[in-house]
Amino acid sequence: MMIFNRFPAAAIMLLVSVVALNFSMPATAYGQSAQAPPSDPTNAGKAVFSRANCVGCHKWHGNGGGGYGGDALSLRKTELTRDQIIEAVGFGRACTGMPFFMRGAYDEVKCHGMNRQDAGAQMPPEGGTFLRPKDIEAVADYVIAHIKGAGEPTYAECVAFFASASRVCDVYKTQEQKPEDAVANTGKNQ
Amino acid sequence: MERFSGHSRIFARARLLAVAVAAGGMMAALPVSAADQVNQERLLNVDKEPGNWLHHHQNYSAHRFSSLKEVNRDNVKNLKVAWTMHLGGIEGGGIWSHGGLEGTPIAENGFLYVTDGWGWVYKIDAHGGRGMLVWKMDPKTDRDWAGAVACCGVDNRGVALWGDLVISHTLDGRLIATNKETGQVAWQRTVADPDKGEVITGAPLIVKNMAITGVAGAEYGIRGWIAATDLTTQKEVWRTHTIPGKGEPGSDTWKDSNNAATAGGGSTWVTGTYDPATDTIIWGTGNPGPDWDNAYRPGDNLYTDSSLALDATTGKIKWHYQHTPNDPYDYDSVAENVLVDIPGPSGPRKLALEADRNGFAYAIDRTTGKFVWGLPFVKKVTWTKGLDAETGKPIEYDPNKPVQTYIASVTPSRTNLETDICPGNMGGKNWPPTAYNPDLKLWYIPVIESCNRIKVEVMTPEKLKPREFWTGGGPSQPFKITGSVTAIDVTTGKIAGKMETPFPNLGGILATPDLVFTGQPSGEVTALDAKSLQKLWEFNTGGGVNAPPMTFTVDGKQYVAILVGLGGASDKWFIDSTPELKKIQPGSMLYVFAL
Repeated sequence: MMIFNRFPAAAIMLLVSVVALNFSMPATAYGQSAQAPPSDPTNAGKAVFSRANCVGCHKWHGNGGGGYGGDALSLRKTELTRDQIIEAVGFGRACTGMPFFMRGAYDEVKCHGMNRQDAGAQMPPEGGTFLRPKDIEAVADYVIAHIKGAGEPTYAECVAFFASASRVCDVYKTQEQKPEDAVANTGKNQ
Repeated sequence: MERFSGHSRIFARARLLAVAVAAGGMMAALPVSAADQVNQERLLNVDKEPGNWLHHHQNYSAHRFSSLKEVNRDNVKNLKVAWTMHLGGIEGGGIWSHGGLEGTPIAENGFLYVTDGWGWVYKIDAHGGRGMLVWKMDPKTDRDWAGAVACCGVDNRGVALWGDLVISHTLDGRLIATNKETGQVAWQRTVADPDKGEVITGAPLIVKNMAITGVAGAEYGIRGWIAATDLTTQKEVWRTHTIPGKGEPGSDTWKDSNNAATAGGGSTWVTGTYDPATDTIIWGTGNPGPDWDNAYRPGDNLYTDSSLALDATTGKIKWHYQHTPNDPYDYDSVAENVLVDIPGPSGPRKLALEADRNGFAYAIDRTTGKFVWGLPFVKKVTWTKGLDAETGKPIEYDPNKPVQTYIASVTPSRTNLETDICPGNMGGKNWPPTAYNPDLKLWYIPVIESCNRIKVEVMTPEKLKPREFWTGGGPSQPFKITGSVTAIDVTTGKIAGKMETPFPNLGGILATPDLVFTGQPSGEVTALDAKSLQKLWEFNTGGGVNAPPMTFTVDGKQYVAILVGLGGASDKWFIDSTPELKKIQPGSMLYVFAL
């Protein structure tokens, strides 16, 4: 069973503003801002993956795994469909640590036919932030496009995820691989 | 580094004070400006400058005891906030959504040196009854790199002083020397490697011109070590691995065919102690990896879960005492060893005290490494019936058994894949430091009263990957965790008092002649009577206390300081055991109290 962290209010505010930027203005759909060039239609979902702290348990690469926090499902090995991922993110997973991220889930919106009272002890934890339906679709699209079925994480994927000066990706370098090759070869991201 | 101007007058006054101190004879042989320079002589004689707090653990023996008594049991009820300062460092990184504050401020001649969770160093001028930021040093920690392999939070427990330098660590593995006056980085050196799952959260220990560094990462398949860096040449003097290499003494306690020792854990992330009489560093070591699948690594797994005595000059291991052989519980012995001398039948007994994650407090003869006494300091222990009176080993320990099962019905194993265990893997007692009152001979333990549920994952060598968890299972938290401050009479080895608290003690303890200061993750800072442990004063900081209190003077007036900002392991992995704490906001604030 996993435990999910809370978010500083500032992070939630930031998330709301990012989400608002990405989804409420059609002209700038998918985060077409100066900061994030619109190279990939799933960039918005990637932002949700970070900001909603999916990375806190599933990690940046989605492989999850056992550890202090329990055993987060591998999204690389998952057989869930887009719709099933949307359902899991929105409603959480009963009897596991996977939180629900849909505002009003188990209250206004019955999940699997259950409200809070019906779910009782099976009630999954509440996510650190709530996501709008479009955020949930975006993060599902991102998981389908970049994570599901992707095999073991690669340097190229890592660089594509972080796109920063962090050394977080160095461990994925193969012996002959140099950083400049990896940027050109973004693998599944194409 | 950011420099703040407008302090020349205050600096001048500090120097005048320094001159006065030097003229008083304490350091008459040194140049005038050297009063602000920290050297081995001062570090050995901190009792001569009680208004300062020069060591992470207050003195080389980790007493965390101050002889200051302007604030005492008669007037502590009048203690009030003197000033506060907002710090930074709550940003997320890696798998962490926010950092926390676990540091102990260092105080010297009216200036404080504190760190936040990401290792920023702040120099604060505490003269005149208020705090003014003099400078801050941004170590530019690689947050995603380090935060992804920090098992237990974005934490930094503080700095040390040496010469005109402030010595600090960063989560991403560096030792940094910062000029004390200017806040400029003088030099830095990479000591640990996050690519191998190594990070640093502890404060450095300064011994004879060396900075001693410990490492975290036993949940990520590291092979632990303690390293000494020469602060003049900036070169490594020695590095002693806590897991022996092939053929070295102790390597026969790794009997597997998995090559488990190479990723065997034994981290060293809590600052140790130093006994100048024998030139010995005493340092605790953490759990073996994988944490909960001990059948992967048959044998006692030396030197995990041990107190290690090292020759300070060479790093050579002099003795070891292992608390939980072939540990299947994640019962680190990484805690500080408190050095205490008590009268004995044939002269003074030189003890090393350690309060373990496994729920037992130990006194070891620090000359020989032999067990003297041990007792449970938590209310509930289910994994063993107790300690052998001779050896101090758990009664069920069988040196002929490759895989220990202790009380098998509750012990995580390949045949007991899900089980409830007490203490849980938080402890017992975790990193928050104990304190020792040498007048009363009372040792105060910040206690975590916990049980939790362990699910075992059977590990294979293919599952060992760089920068990925290597735990062999994981805990969940169906049981409420509470805490206490428990006092042990060191002359008898018996519990002398217990003050129970609604939440685990995640901050640690400060002792003064007749008081004990501590805090709660629900926000309260409290002062207790040193003998009765009765609560005499309390202030709610409105944040979560996750750091130890300390005390110092400025211009003769006593202050009590504590960092407030809930982070660390408990706030993420164990929060379901204390659901009331979910509402505590992450924060980053220094509180300073005075009469």
